Amino acid sequence: MASERQIAANRRNARKSTGPRSGTGKKRASRNAYRHGLTLNITSTAAFAKQLDKLVREIAGDSRDAIVLERARTIAQAELDLARVRRAKVALIERASAFGEIDPPQAFSTVTEIKRFLNAFGRGRPIVPKPVDASTTMPSQGPDRSAEAVRRVLPQLRKLDRYERRAAVRRHQAVLNFFGRIKASYNR
Amino acid sequence: MPRRNELALLPKLPLLITESADEFDALRNAFDQEIKPRGIIEQMYVHDISSIAWEILRLRRCKVVIINSAFRSALEHLLVQLLKGPGQYDYEVKDKAQALAQAWFTDEEAKKQVSEILSRFGLDESAIEAEAIRRSSADLELLDRMLSSLESRRDKALGSVAQYRASLAHQLRESADHIIDGKGILRLEDAASERSTAA
Repeated sequence: MASERQIAANRRNARKSTGPRSGTGKKRASRNAYRHGLTLNITSTAAFAKQLDKLVREIAGDSRDAIVLERARTIAQAELDLARVRRAKVALIERASAFGEIDPPQAFSTVTEIKRFLNAFGRGRPIVPKPVDASTTMPSQGPDRSAEAVRRVLPQLRKLDRYERRAAVRRHQAVLNFFGRIKASYNR
Repeated sequence: MPRRNELALLPKLPLLITESADEFDALRNAFDQEIKPRGIIEQMYVHDISSIAWEILRLRRCKVVIINSAFRSALEHLLVQLLKGPGQYDYEVKDKAQALAQAWFTDEEAKKQVSEILSRFGLDESAIEAEAIRRSSADLELLDRMLSSLESRRDKALGSVAQYRASLAHQLRESADHIIDGKGILRLEDAASERSTAA
């Protein structure tokens, strides 16, 4: 555990750090937490914004209450978020089905292969590894191919599943809040 | 039945090329018949439930394919173990095991031969399936986790419909009480008197 002196020194040093200074540095740092873009606000594209507005109007009905409209917007946004994650899942499976994998294969997959390459290179007879076409390792039949593609992207699908679950919880909470507001405005 | 414009507003569930849109529609209709959603919010929940159910079916299909596709290598591995005599190495029986495992899927004679080898050790074809499951256990475990997560989300979505309906019923009851008690009328009268005072 750090002593009090160390903690004080750490704090002093931290105060000296003011983060990135250049424009490029700031831009890069702003994307530090960026992973896949699924948490991006969906209103960032015009088509989504239009779809969102239509859905908000359908949920809120004739209400002009600003809070009701805001809560309807949260429901609609979560609903479109859910749709986006589902699209991402299918796109991932289709990609794996077409190419056999998501990431391109590495030239060397084991340390032994690297050693073998370096030894051969040292002897003046480099062995250039042949690229592996992962799509040839996929079953040719449609449903089997899709199932194999699902198997190959299972870890990624599980991650996306977490986002889907969060969006569903957010939508349900928003529905309850929306109803709470409708009730309150009716009782006023 | 849901209104056409409500359904059009909800984003369509994307399907894989190998999946049938008609089958999904049939599943969705079955949930519609059962839950009878009213209004866009209930439609959302039903859409959610059918999407989750569809994904559960997709993963279950995948589970079967994973086990089936591990059958050949499982049989080969099992045969190497069973054909190997004392003091023999794997590579000495590997070719025979490979050929037999390959032929097992199409050749009745090879099937009979494999059954004989298995029965010599008190085993039957379920040993092949067990080995196939063992070999794909990592994938199956991940699939099972995803399936239980989806099943729990489906149940929650069904619960959400019930919760939503209960809160809607509660609100309707309260509104009815308001009308019966005359509170709504009073409010209108108050507003009218406020307007006349202001004038």
